[in-house]
Amino acid sequence: MTEGCNCQQTDVDEITAVVEEVVEMTGRGPEKVILILQEVQKKLNYLPSEALKHICKITEITPEQISGVSTFYSQFRHIPAGKHTIKICAGTACHVKGAPLISDAFKRVLKIDDTRNTSADNLFSIEEVACLGCCTLAPVVQIDGKTYGHVKPTQTEEIISDFLNSGHKSDSLHGDDNSKDIDAEIRIGLGSCCAAGGSKEILSEIVDIKEKYDLNIRLKPVGCVGVCNQTPLLEIVTRENINSRYTNVSKHQVEEILLKHIRPRTINKRIKHNIYDLVDTFISDDKLTSQINIPGELREKYLNNFLNYQVHLATKNSGVLSPDSYEEYCLSGGFEALNHCFNRLDQNAIVDIITESGLRGRGGAGFPTGKKWRISMVTSSDLKYVVCNGDEGDPGAFMDRMLLESFPYRVVEGMIIAGYATGSKEGIFYIRAEYPLAVTRVRNALKQCYEKGILGESVSGSGFSFNIKIFEGAGAFVCGEETALIYSLEGKRGTPHLRPPYPAVKGFRGQPTLVNNVETLSLVPWIITNGAETFRSIGTEKSKGTKVFALAGKISKGGLIEVPMGITIREIVEKIGDGVAEGRKFKAVQIGGPSGGCIPASEADTPIDYEELTRMGAMMGSGGMVILDDTDCMVDMAKYFLTFTHKQSCGKCTFCRIGTTQMLNIITSLSEGKAALSDIDELENLCKSVKDGSLCGLGKTSPNPVLTGLRYFRDEYEAHTRGFCPAKKCRNLIRYVVTDDCNGCTKCSQECPVNAIPFNPYEKHEIDNQLCTKCDNCRIVCPENAIEIINING
Amino acid sequence: MVKIKINNIYFEAPEGLTILDVAKSAGFNIPTLCHKDGLPHYSSCMVCIVKDNSTNGFIPSCSALVQEGMDIDISGEEVTSLRRKAIELLLAEHRAECEAPCKIVCPAGYNIPLMNRLLAAQDFEAAIKLSMSELNSAGIMCTKCPGYCENACRRKKVDMPVSIRNLQLFISQRIIPDNLFQDMAEQHHNNDIVIENGPKKGKLPKRFTSHIGRLEETELQEWLKECKGKVLRSREILNKNSAVGEAESCMHCDCRAADDCRLRDLAEEFSIKDPRGKLVNSPITKKINHNTGLIFENTKCIKCGLCVRLCEELKEEPALCFMHRGFVSIISEPLTEEFDNILKNRSKEVIAICPTGALSQMK
Repeated sequence: MTEGCNCQQTDVDEITAVVEEVVEMTGRGPEKVILILQEVQKKLNYLPSEALKHICKITEITPEQISGVSTFYSQFRHIPAGKHTIKICAGTACHVKGAPLISDAFKRVLKIDDTRNTSADNLFSIEEVACLGCCTLAPVVQIDGKTYGHVKPTQTEEIISDFLNSGHKSDSLHGDDNSKDIDAEIRIGLGSCCAAGGSKEILSEIVDIKEKYDLNIRLKPVGCVGVCNQTPLLEIVTRENINSRYTNVSKHQVEEILLKHIRPRTINKRIKHNIYDLVDTFISDDKLTSQINIPGELREKYLNNFLNYQVHLATKNSGVLSPDSYEEYCLSGGFEALNHCFNRLDQNAIVDIITESGLRGRGGAGFPTGKKWRISMVTSSDLKYVVCNGDEGDPGAFMDRMLLESFPYRVVEGMIIAGYATGSKEGIFYIRAEYPLAVTRVRNALKQCYEKGILGESVSGSGFSFNIKIFEGAGAFVCGEETALIYSLEGKRGTPHLRPPYPAVKGFRGQPTLVNNVETLSLVPWIITNGAETFRSIGTEKSKGTKVFALAGKISKGGLIEVPMGITIREIVEKIGDGVAEGRKFKAVQIGGPSGGCIPASEADTPIDYEELTRMGAMMGSGGMVILDDTDCMVDMAKYFLTFTHKQSCGKCTFCRIGTTQMLNIITSLSEGKAALSDIDELENLCKSVKDGSLCGLGKTSPNPVLTGLRYFRDEYEAHTRGFCPAKKCRNLIRYVVTDDCNGCTKCSQECPVNAIPFNPYEKHEIDNQLCTKCDNCRIVCPENAIEIINING
Repeated sequence: MVKIKINNIYFEAPEGLTILDVAKSAGFNIPTLCHKDGLPHYSSCMVCIVKDNSTNGFIPSCSALVQEGMDIDISGEEVTSLRRKAIELLLAEHRAECEAPCKIVCPAGYNIPLMNRLLAAQDFEAAIKLSMSELNSAGIMCTKCPGYCENACRRKKVDMPVSIRNLQLFISQRIIPDNLFQDMAEQHHNNDIVIENGPKKGKLPKRFTSHIGRLEETELQEWLKECKGKVLRSREILNKNSAVGEAESCMHCDCRAADDCRLRDLAEEFSIKDPRGKLVNSPITKKINHNTGLIFENTKCIKCGLCVRLCEELKEEPALCFMHRGFVSIISEPLTEEFDNILKNRSKEVIAICPTGALSQMK
């Protein structure tokens, strides 16, 4: 973003120069359109019409193509945005934890109206994004590169001023000190969740302390550990190989933790340390309550529970591997599978192994991977492609992001094996633009692989040549559908089309194209190394191996988990997740995001299995698992998902385009208490038609959230026709009242943004329901829990 | 060759053909909207949907390729009801009128907008012929009629209704020779059954008619784009000049494709009633190409993309393209061009391919 981009007029000459510079770099073919638009927008902040004209003039891109594409993908904007962009995550986990209130609060504080999402001084723009992939820190807000987790609506002003004061520098910290003789290795998670939890500050604090005491330690940034709701996470491995983990580490605890395990090197510093320690003991009793003094076993009990029920295949060595290090990946057995393929196996044998392993596509639908590979293998063509589908747009899911960020080499290896097995020469990573860190990590991995001869001409001297490049998506959920993804790669609007022809027969540029999900590819090396039988031995009859889930929502211990197929939902919730948060009642679990459904607590013994989940009306989907408690309204959830699919529909086929609109209209009137019982029947019929009649998976599965809602929670839907929301969630059906517990502290009155609570010190406060906007601020600040939500109708 | 079953009859067909191809050549009729032989298929309308009993799935026959073992049902109950639903959904966003409000309420079903157009074009002879063919006892009826047409006239919401009755009376009384008019009046005197019982659609053949739904004030202005800027308005029509002026103020609410609309035909074929609450897509806008007379009415568009595919084929630039995504996706001129500059030479062909009246030619 250039400085001064907030001025409305950019000079035409400057625009022309920028466009020419970009095109020089990207090339002029029509399939470059998305890349060109991304680069131009990066430099100009938006896409002025002069830029579009000039692009058409100097490339093969037509005005029709550029108009269609630049308005299809939500990343592109045609009017200037503010200098800083506040991205408010609208993912499922954030939604259930109050993201709509956060969005309202930012709009209110910055005085932004819906017509132009930018503040009057052009400083801030607000953007609601499908998912930032930090579900365990919900609700999450990201301002430029800086992420804020667990945001409350009352904190908006604080966050804005923190952002403005922090100088919004981008931290770039790397591991250092590769000397062997060290006292300890400090591992710190630098996945997006950890970074959002403040791990970068922790890292810089460690660097300071290391200086201060001259500690002989090695700092090692590692990928995601999976314990995402407990970030930042710090792990210390001492010379004696003793391993200690700390969760929820705060900046001021770092010194204490480090010095507990590692002795400073020089005598002077050691004495200093001891004196400091002594002083600390006297002047503060912090130590007594800090988690460092909690007995180790207790502290780690949860961690162990969390980790023990899991089986790590795709996420093997999580929290140990440094994501950027080629050497470490090799040391941990990386690229062994690939070499095994080159030395011992021919194409057929590899496809046989994958077929026998029973591996099925992890993107959601569960198509047998071996079958897909075989189709691609037997289709004869000089030029074949392998595409890694990393367009994870499912709100409430971030498995692919984590795998790409933490194990880029593993995915690359899987992709090369897929390329070798199918006879492809080129691989393409399709990664969402919302995952900048994943892009960086994969880019680095590819660079390393080229340097080491793992990619390029004659990979590892095998005679097989393979090249991989990265394509950044531009913000369209529907591009997760493989035919739409291929259109997107070709620089077209990402609209799906009917299969067959399958991409494995006729895909990118009309050539056989194997499209596999990130997780699918990252399981491949494990299967090759350990054999199909070993993989088959895990799981159920038809679903083999493991599945990675993003466990979030109202769960005590959320995070990224990899579980064996066949594990029950209850085991996940109770054992791995340690039950529902805040001691509330487990109501349902939403699996599969907008394509899935809510499985009620009563059916929690359902095993994780493609067919079982589909039978329950949900879907494996890409692996979002959001736990809901008794304060979550099923009508509201259905409305949330329909809003999402409605927004993300490509608009091609009648059933999805108009059908989802009508469904959304009915569900909205339900949530407002304006619908009748007959509307529920109409909704149900409409759902069935949309399910049958839509062209692609997005449309066909979009009614699932409603259908499962009607199947398991029909009474809740019917209650809404009487204007009653049992979960007290639907805004039009509830109001806020002050109970007798009020002690007149006036906090609510001060916090109310619309002056709906008159200032009455030492008296019971009253809420004016005419003015109240139900922003929830008063309830959050009340120290006596004296603000209650009640139903308007009974 | 692949062997498939259509409505329980076995067929052999070469690979690569669509179900629609095969069904057509076997003499089956499958309705389509977004399909045109010779253009790449797109499968948007889903009116051609069929069921494959071998997989229990529903597929659009226009792009689904025949595959060994398919068992296709093209006219069963489930299939027809899905087709009906598809058309209903398309009509739910079809904020358009097949017929003008004035014509709908006219007890005689007189084609009032056409009369106005003829008068505005100063084609008095044609106007007389129209009046005689459609409204042979018209003079008397219009004098007796309380003027349902003028009450329904959309122009009324802008300033005042078009003086329809006086225009018609002017045609019948001033232009038509007196004696001819007298003969006709006597001849049809006793057939005059319509007026007394209020507005009944007496002579209008019962056809499906789509409605517009709630109209916003701003949307109303869009019709004025089709009227001449400043026209001479007059309630009394005394001479040809005032007749032309008054006729020019007609907003042409009727659809130009009223008799040539695939959507309307299908709605009739499936005996569908126009849905009550119309979904508001984007506000009604009319785009007029002042060079070629091409007019685009967004709410009549069913987003089938036929025009876009044809434009790609014709290779004339600048042309039409899809814009935006989802429910608000729409056909448009490119962002970098004016509507006035598109399709300079080939607009007639593009208009002809539009299955509805979304793209049409201004007279």
